[in-house]
Parts: sequence; structure tokens; C-alpha cells
Amino acid sequence: MAEHEVKQILRDLDHLQPATLSQAPNLLSRAKLALLKLDALVPDADTTPHHLHFGAAVLEHGALVSIRLKDTDAFTRYYQQLQSFYALPAERWNSRVGKPKNQAKVTGLYLLLLLSVGDYAGFHTVLEGLEVSSGKGEMEQNEFIQYPVRLEQALMEGSYDKVWGETKRERVPSEEFGVFSEVLINTIRSEIASCSERAYPSLPISNAKNLLFLDSEGAVVQFAQARGWVAKDGRIYFPQQEEEMLAAQRDVMSSSSMVIENTLGYARKLETIV
Amino acid sequence: MADKMDVDAVNGEKEEETVGPAPDLPAERIITNNFNLINQAVDAFDARFTLRALRNISTIRKAPNFPEAIAIGIRTAFPKPQNNARRVLETMLPEQYKNVQNGEAAGGEGVKDPDVVEIAEVWAYLGVLVQVYLYDTQQYKKGAQFSENFVEKVRSFNRRTMDSIGAKAYFYYALFHENLDPKPPSKQSPVIDIRPKLLSALRSAVLRKDAETQSAVTVLLLRNYISTADITQADLLVAQTQFPSSAANNQVCRYLYYIGRIRAIQLAYTQAHSHLESATRKSPTTGPAAGFYQQATKLLIVVELLMGDIPERSLFRQPALEAALYPYFKLVQAVRVGDLQAFLKCVSANEPQFRKDGTYTLTLRLRQNVIKTGVRMLSLSYSRISLHDICTRLGVDSEESAEYITAKAIRDGVIEASLDHQQGHLVTTAPRDAYSTTEPSEAFHARITALLGMRDECVMAMRYPMNKHRQEIAEAAKARERERELAKEIVEGEGDEEGEEQFEGM
Repeated sequence: MAEHEVKQILRDLDHLQPATLSQAPNLLSRAKLALLKLDALVPDADTTPHHLHFGAAVLEHGALVSIRLKDTDAFTRYYQQLQSFYALPAERWNSRVGKPKNQAKVTGLYLLLLLSVGDYAGFHTVLEGLEVSSGKGEMEQNEFIQYPVRLEQALMEGSYDKVWGETKRERVPSEEFGVFSEVLINTIRSEIASCSERAYPSLPISNAKNLLFLDSEGAVVQFAQARGWVAKDGRIYFPQQEEEMLAAQRDVMSSSSMVIENTLGYARKLETIV
Repeated sequence: MADKMDVDAVNGEKEEETVGPAPDLPAERIITNNFNLINQAVDAFDARFTLRALRNISTIRKAPNFPEAIAIGIRTAFPKPQNNARRVLETMLPEQYKNVQNGEAAGGEGVKDPDVVEIAEVWAYLGVLVQVYLYDTQQYKKGAQFSENFVEKVRSFNRRTMDSIGAKAYFYYALFHENLDPKPPSKQSPVIDIRPKLLSALRSAVLRKDAETQSAVTVLLLRNYISTADITQADLLVAQTQFPSSAANNQVCRYLYYIGRIRAIQLAYTQAHSHLESATRKSPTTGPAAGFYQQATKLLIVVELLMGDIPERSLFRQPALEAALYPYFKLVQAVRVGDLQAFLKCVSANEPQFRKDGTYTLTLRLRQNVIKTGVRMLSLSYSRISLHDICTRLGVDSEESAEYITAKAIRDGVIEASLDHQQGHLVTTAPRDAYSTTEPSEAFHARITALLGMRDECVMAMRYPMNKHRQEIAEAAKARERERELAKEIVEGEGDEEGEEQFEGM
């Protein structure tokens, strides 16, 4: 009975249209209840492969839907729940039904999520785990995982035009990844802005438009004002650098107290040695 | 085991102390001598005797008649063949040793100490020897099963004198499970099953204030988590537990190495660097421990590269490390010059080696370091260079990328320069005089504090025999007495002598 319900809901989820996306959470909660009745929400030693497949499919759908609905907390929750399914050995899965199909996609999305909030430590930890469990060959081939890896590399290097290129429609592996594109573009825009502040004494507005990937000069001026830059006769001036220099100079003078403290410490220690 | 480290430092190789001229003694005699040592340990409640007994495990395991020696040892300790303890141990040994005549062994020894039978530590010691034998003959399944029961029994004893032996027992227990199929890093590996056991052992060790077992089990758990790449769990373990400060040096080295690994993966490179440096400093560099030293140094090199520092060339010249570190040497060369192509070639050529060392993912992160170094080299050598040239030099795909990369480098403080967008140039500003800032004094301060810390640790780790200091005080008092008498005699001698001679010295 519960099995039949789960199958029905899965079919509904498969046929979900973007317009009816809001119904998905409802469907998902019903599916989860049905799974609980089947005792398949958390896999243990006696769950049959069939039930495992249902559980994994429902959770994966849940994960993808929450991405589309931009609900990051729900997505993280689904991801954690899916981990116990992914950790199972290959023998538990029926050869007819096969392993969960969207594992790479969900993992790739999670990596992208970590990247967009700037949690590089978490990103690398998950990557280590992947590297270890599936080995080199699988990881390299898989487009869903390579996408965040490439992005991270480009971000770290600083080649933001590569990042910009990756977020264009054609390069993105699937629709869900596209959701993150906006967040990423904002991130790189602020990064480029802070880099430009230090690197350029001043910039003409048209160049700034290209650098910041903005659409019009008006947008550039708005952005500049938001960041506290001065826009005059078609150029943007970055004022912060001078103050920083002065601040650094002053430190040298005021650190004399630290030098005195250190030297006194050395003298004390030398006494104990000698 | 500070005195062991002192001996190593002085002589550069392991020494067997009071068990006689060790190479000459047959393995059986060593084992039975160790029984006396263990008895002494229990009577005096001093752990050092047990440690000495455990130390020569490495010599006797190489003896050709090791299983025979164990069998003789068992028979000496437990003369009654029906003894349950004896039977448990003997089932682990191969067939032919079980039925040797009792008289032969007893006649050969001559000394049969009746006390030996009752002491559980002797049984535990023999159990560890059996574990070593099973491991050396690669009977992993049997060993794993035996170890499980053995470890349970040891834990139930709850005797402080058995601590060091218990720690060794846990070590082999974990080692056996690591060698069972499927091996880690697979998620189905049996090592995952022993985690609850190790965790409860850790709990008991902490409750019983058993520092040795606590340190040994913590290290084993960390190794376990890292082998299956459960870094978050390892991190949580480190955060929740305290490593005992009185732990043996070997365990401290291992602990520091594993923590260094965790931090390196989590991108906390400075912390990782300090931990790994302590690990390499404290570890013995010769003998069988050279392997650990090599591993720790490899990880240290990669972390240093990730931090942006170039390790010194002298590091690679050490005889123990030269061959093992060769791929890393190539890597350092590529990073130092900032040559991206050479770097990629080196990484792909040495990939299997890096994977084996577990440093492959870390080396991949070095890509941005190569680029940063390249940018730095360029800014140092050119006062003005066009972006197009930067693009060709660095091997990046487009001028735009080069522009963004240099802008980011400037922001991160890698170089002191400014970009001229219209003409597409990078203009280097003149370098500030470093000595006018506090940088040199900060660098000195860091080094001095590190060395002072090391000196404090050494002083605290020095050990003196208990009553020696009283002797010293007595001797010093005597010396002072003698000096005073001498001075008095001289003064009197001066007085006796008539004359107004002037004494220069004195």
C-alpha cells in the first residue's frame, strides 16, 4: 500500500512542471511519510534494494526541488540524508534497478553551494572524501563535479573572466547549477571591485563597465557610489589607498612599546638560562 | 619515553640496556628475562621496567625461532598445560609447537619462578608477542579475532601496571583490522566497525587516568578517520578530547602529524605548518622510524609551498630523505620559478607517488601558488611590463585573465604594484625599505619564542634518578669544604711566609 503510494508520488514528481513547483514540498512530505511506513527513510541492514531505490529517489527529487525553490537549508538537509544512501556498498543495490542516478549531480550542487558561501574548507573536505571513495577516473569524467572544481580553481587563481564564462548558459551542466550563477556573479563582482581598488589609481568608466561585467555606464556609477568611490569626468577614483599607507606608517612608531616588551622578555629568559 | 630519546640522540641508534649483550642471547632467554623485569615493574609500580621489556620486541621478532621462543615462554610462565590462559595463547601458534615435551623446556631453563604464573601482566605481554607473531606471518583474520578478545580481556583487568602493554595491544588490534579486506579508504572497510570499540576504550582510559592507552587510542582513532577520509569526524574528535601531556614521544609525534594533516586539508596552513614542524623535529630520524620522518617531511614541504614559502634546499640533501623526496624536489623547483608548464608536467608524472603519499589533492591546490610566484618574479624583475607579456610568461589563456590575476595578486599583497589599464601595463612601485618597519623584529621574535619554547620543553623533559640530587648536593657541599680549606691554607701560608712579596695572581 505504502509502496504504491510512493511509486505514485515519484511519478508525479517526475512530471512536475516549473509552474507547479510549489506543490512539490507537499508531495515530498507525503512521500517521506510513506517511506517511513516502509521503514526506508534511513537505510539499515535489512532494507531491500527496491526500498533503497525508492528512498534514494525521493530524497534526490527533494534535493533538486529545493535548489529550484532556492531553499538552501532544505537542500543541505536532503544532502545529509542522502549521504547514508551513498555510503552503501554496490552490492546492496539491485543490479536491475541500479545505483542512484543523480549522485554526482547532487554532490556537485552541494560543492557549488559551499563555494558560493565561501566555505572553502568544507569544499575541500568534501572533495577529499570524493577523491578517496570513487578514485580518479570517475571524478575526472564527471561533468557535474568538474564544474565546481573548475570554478574553484578559477576563483582562487583570480581569473574571473573564466568564472564569468562558466556561468554563461551553454557551459552550465544543468538547470539547477544555473540557480547559483547569479550568486556567483555577485561574488566575483565584489571581488573584482576590491581588487581594482588596490590595483588601479583610477579607471575610465567604460573600462570599468567591462571589468565589472556590468551592462551600462549608469549601472557602473551606481555601483561606484554604493562602494564609496568617487566618479568624476568619466573616471572613477579609488580613494582608500592613501589612508591605508598612513595607517601603516603610524604603526611603526606606536609599536615601540611592543619592542620594549619583547626585549624585556628576552632578558628575563636569558637570566634563567645563564 | 624521554630517556629513550636521549639515548637515540646521543648514539644515533637504539640501545638495549640491561638485558645483557642482546644479540648474543637467544630469543627465549630474552623473553624469560623480561618476565623478571615485568615482575619488578609490578612490585615497584614503575612503568619504566615494562617499557624496557617492550622495547626488545623488535629484536626478538626478527629471530628465526620466534614462535618457538614464544611457546617456551608460555610454558615457563604457565607450567600447567590445563591452564586456561595458556591454552588461549597456544591456540594461536602453529601446530608443531604445541606438543613439545614439557621436560625439555623446563630442563633448559632451570629457573621456574612460581610467582610468574599469577601475574596477569606476563600473560598480557605474551599476548602481545603472539599478536606480533601473527602480524609478521600475515594471518590477519586470525589476528583480528584474537585481538578482539584479547583487548576485551585487557580492558577488563583495569590494572595500571598493564597500561603500556594494553596500549600495544590496541595498536596491533587496529593494525590487523586495517589489513582486512576491503581495505580503507573504502567505506565498507572493517576499520569502521572497530570505531565504537576504540571510542569506549578511550572513555575508559580517560576515566582511569590511563595516559598511555589514552594517547595510543586517540592516535589510532585519528588514523582510522583519516584513512576513510572522514575529516569532519576527526576534527570533532580533536576538538572534544585532550591529548595527555605526559604521553610518550612517539605518540606525540604521531598525533601532531595527524593533526597537521587535518589542518592542511581544512586550509589552515599556518597551524598545520607548526604542528608538522614539531612532528619532524621530535621524530627520530634513523632506524625503522625513518619512514615516519620521510612522510612527515613530505607533508611539511607541501604545506610550506601552499603557504607561499619555499623550503630550503638543505632539507633535500639529508641522506635519509634524498631518494624519497626527489619528486617533491622537482615540485619545489617548478613552484619556485613560477613555471606553470613544468609544474603541471611534474604533477602528472609523479601522480601515483603523490596519491600514495596522500598529498595529491594538496599538490593540485598549488596551481595558484605557481601563478602567484610567477607574478612576483615578474614584478621583481620588471619595472614596467605589458599585460600581453605577462599573459605569455605565465601561460594563462588571455590578457583579461592576466589582468584579473595581477589585480588579485596586488590585493592579496603578493606584489606592490599598480595597473595602468589604458596602456595595459603593470607598473611596479619601488620596494619599501624593510628595515624601517617592524617586520625584522617580528621575524626575530617569532624565532626566539620558538627556540625558547623548545628549550623549556627540553628542561621539563629531562629526568634525574630520584636520589641523585641529594648526592649532588652532598658532593657540592664537600667541594665547597675543600675549597674553603684550601683558601684557609693559602691564607695561612701567606701569613707564615715573611716578606713583603707581592702576590700577583690569587
